[in-house]
Parts: sequence; C-alpha cells; structure tokens
Amino acid sequence: MDILIDSLLAILTIYLAFRCMLAPKLSKAVFVFFAFGLMLALAWIRLGAVDVAIAEAAIASGFMGVLMLDSLRDFSLIFSKNQERLEETASKIPIKKDSYHWTTALALGLGLILFLLISIQAIWEVPQGGGLTAIAEANLPMSGVEHPVTAVLLNYRAYDTWLEIGVILMGLLAIFAAGGLKQYRKPGLAPAQDPLLRKTILIFTPVLFLFGAFLLYFGKMGPGGAFQAAVLWGAIGILLHLGGWTVFTVIPRRMRQILVTIGLGFFMILGFTQMATGGAFFEYPPAYAGFLILVVETLAAISIAAALTAIFAFLTK
Amino acid sequence: MKIGTYEIYSLTSAILFAIGLGGVFLAKHFLRKIIATIIMGAGVFLCFVSFAKRDALTFADPIPHALVITGIVVAVTAAAFALSLARRIHKLTGEDTFGNEK
Amino acid sequence: MMIKEIFIVILLVAGCFFFLAGTLGLLRFPDLFSRLHALTNADNLGLGFIAAGIALYIASPWATVKIFFIWILTLLSSATSSYLIARFQREQEKSKNGEEE
Repeated sequence: MDILIDSLLAILTIYLAFRCMLAPKLSKAVFVFFAFGLMLALAWIRLGAVDVAIAEAAIASGFMGVLMLDSLRDFSLIFSKNQERLEETASKIPIKKDSYHWTTALALGLGLILFLLISIQAIWEVPQGGGLTAIAEANLPMSGVEHPVTAVLLNYRAYDTWLEIGVILMGLLAIFAAGGLKQYRKPGLAPAQDPLLRKTILIFTPVLFLFGAFLLYFGKMGPGGAFQAAVLWGAIGILLHLGGWTVFTVIPRRMRQILVTIGLGFFMILGFTQMATGGAFFEYPPAYAGFLILVVETLAAISIAAALTAIFAFLTK
Repeated sequence: MKIGTYEIYSLTSAILFAIGLGGVFLAKHFLRKIIATIIMGAGVFLCFVSFAKRDALTFADPIPHALVITGIVVAVTAAAFALSLARRIHKLTGEDTFGNEK
Repeated sequence: MMIKEIFIVILLVAGCFFFLAGTLGLLRFPDLFSRLHALTNADNLGLGFIAAGIALYIASPWATVKIFFIWILTLLSSATSSYLIARFQREQEKSKNGEEE
C-alpha cells in the first residue's frame, strides 16, 4: 500500500515537472508549477519531513508561484519604444516554440539519459548508516528545544541560519539594484474597490497572523519555526498589497530598514555576546537556550517576512 | 532488491534533476529556465531527505531536513533575483529569450 | 467500532466522488463560468466530506476544531478567488462587447 502511494506520487511529480518544461503555453507551465510544488510537499510528508513540507508549500510553491504569476503578466505585455504599455495581448501573440534541429535534440537527449544513469548509480552507492541522528538526539536536552530540526537550525547550526538570513537580505538588495531606479508602487492606502476581496483579506489577516505565531511557538516541540511563520506573516503583507493597502511602502523608510535587518543584527549581537562571555560563536548557555532561541526566531521571522513583502512590493509595481 | 520509500524517492530525485537540467539547456523563455532551475533544486533536496529517511533511527536525521529548509529559502531568493533580472531585460529590450537562442 | 469505520469509509468515498466530479467538470465543461461552478461547488462539498471523515477517524475534539477551521478557510478563499476570476472574465467580455457595438 505504501509503495503504491509513493510510486503514484513520484510518477505524478515527474509528470508535472515534464509538463512544466513542455507545456506549449507559458501560463500553463506556471500553473503546473504550483501543482508541482504541492505534490512535492506531499512527498516531503511521505518522507517524514513535515517542516520541509510546510516550507515547500509556503515558500517554493506559494511565494515563488505568486512572483511567477506576476511576471507572467509582465511578459505578456508588449512595450513600444518609449517604454509605454501598448496593449495587453496575452492571447494574441503565439509563444515562440522551443524547436531544435533533430540532431541537437537527439544528442542532448542521449546526454541527459547518460547523466541520469550516472546520477542514479551515484545516489545508490552512498554508504548507509551515516548521518548524525544519534549525536543530534543525544544533545537534544541541552539545546533548549524539543524538536530536533529546530535544534539543528537554531542551535547546532545557528551559524548557517544566521548567514541564510544574510542571503535573503543580499537577495533583496540585489533585486533593488536590478530593478533600476523604479521605486515601489506609489505609497498610499487605496483599498480594493471590490467589497468581497476587501472583506476576505481583512478576515484572513488576523487568522494568518495567529497561525504564524502558533507555528513560531510550536517550532519548539514540533514541525514549524521561524521560516514557516515568516512566510505566513509575509503572506499577510502580500495579501494587503494585493488588496491595495500598500503597507510596506507607507511605513517610514528608516522603519523599513530596521524591520528588514533586525533579525540578522540581533543574531550577530547574540553570537558575539556569547563569544565575549567565554563561549563559542552561538554557544547558548543551556539554562537560557529556549528563551534566547524563541527571541531570535521571532526577530528572524519578522525580518524574513518584511524582506519577502519588500521583494513582492518591489517586483510587482 | 527491496523497493521502499527511499528507493522510489531517490530515483525520483535523479529524474527531477535530469528534467531540470534538460530544461535549463533546452527551454528558451526566461521564466521556463527559472522554473527549470527550481526543479533541479527540488531534485537535490529530495535526494537529501530520502537519505535522511533511509538512515532514520528513532527519528529521521534532522540535519538534512534543516539543510533543505535553508536551501529552499535560499533557492527561492535566488530565483526571485533571477526573475527581477529577467523582467528588467524584458523591460529594456522587449526580449524574453537570450539573443543567441532565437 | 465496526459501524464507525464503515461511516468513515462512506464519508471518504463520498468526498473522493465529489472531487472526481468536480475535476471532470473542470476538464469537460465548455465555458469558464460553468467550470468554476463545477470546481467550487463539488470540491468544497468533497473537502467537507473528507474533513468529516478524517475528524471522525482522529476522534479528538481539538483536531476536529482545527479540521473544521481548515474547511471554513478553504471555503472562504476558494469562494472569493472564483468570484474574482468570474468578475474579471465578465468585465473582459463587457469591454469586448462594448468595442464591437
């Protein structure tokens, strides 16, 4: 029974990946990409990685999908020479077919199949029984949390997580740089015209906030944590933006900068304080570890949520 | 050979990576190339987590899980940056493929 | 015990049936409005049946409350999004007709 479910899921995932690449219309590829992410999230659950499943469904499928959808709108517009929008012709322009000479296609296809065989061989030769599960489990009582994945993320390998928040910040800055001189959409609070959309967003905002806070706190003992909470809080910002409340552009510039950097900054201060008091970088004192991790997680979640909202607000002008 | 969850998903991960690699080479439109890189990444992550499942003791190995969560966020940030570059190119030149691939 | 299990199976099968019907409608109906109709109606009902089945299976009051909230929130978001899609389509058609006149 297990094998049946797993094989079905695997075949579906592979099929959807194929459709992403081969669907004749670009819009179809993007919609299939959403479905692909959700199938992958189910695969993570089958593999027992519930944290990864939440992250995948929320970030890789949800957030990325929203950005893709918005880009799709951009790519289906035709620009005239003076950069003005001429007309929306999403359905009128035929998308250029990806066609190649058959010899090129054959060579690439054979190369890919060879590559596939080699990588399967390599994967199956990875020796069994490695892994650090036993060490992770033995140190769990000292880490301040009960969930091993959170312990790895925020305690054992806090260094990685700290730098990861830095990567998100770098990504944000790079997007600002690549976006040219265009600023955010004009600041202003002009709620959506549609009463139903407005109402739904207002209902979802507190629910998302509550659920994010729950995931943040629950990360201590089960699947959840800073990233998952951050995406839910980021989703609040994105929803409000879609509804016309451009929250991120309304708050003052200095405040925005503080929001985006506070996670990275606090993490760094904490690390150096631990060094100053005689520990290693990110060596939490076991007595306060739980509390410190919760504070760090909260600030990191706020920063990541702000960064995701900023990316969305800047990309979708 | 015994076929279980690990075997199925590690095989899937290799196939997904190959599909993504093919997409990066063969797809022309920027968006499709970006999706292809994300699929490649998904293949790598699936491979990691299937190892964690195989080597599970009382619980699955948490280190690959943490690595994959970190990896997903970084991959999405990089893809968002790629999207912004692609949109910028499209805005400035009106192109949606690389010039030499037309 | 037996009766409860039979109930669960009936609820889950009914849910799957409605999902199947909704998907069939999505694939086979001719225009956007009837597709949306098939999708939202049948899928929400199917999800309700499956949620009821799972709640009965878990048989814990807190889990039931959570599953109920999942169902309500899904109802809300799917209703709003399909309404928005339908409204967009209608406005498109209206502006197209306006041009032709």
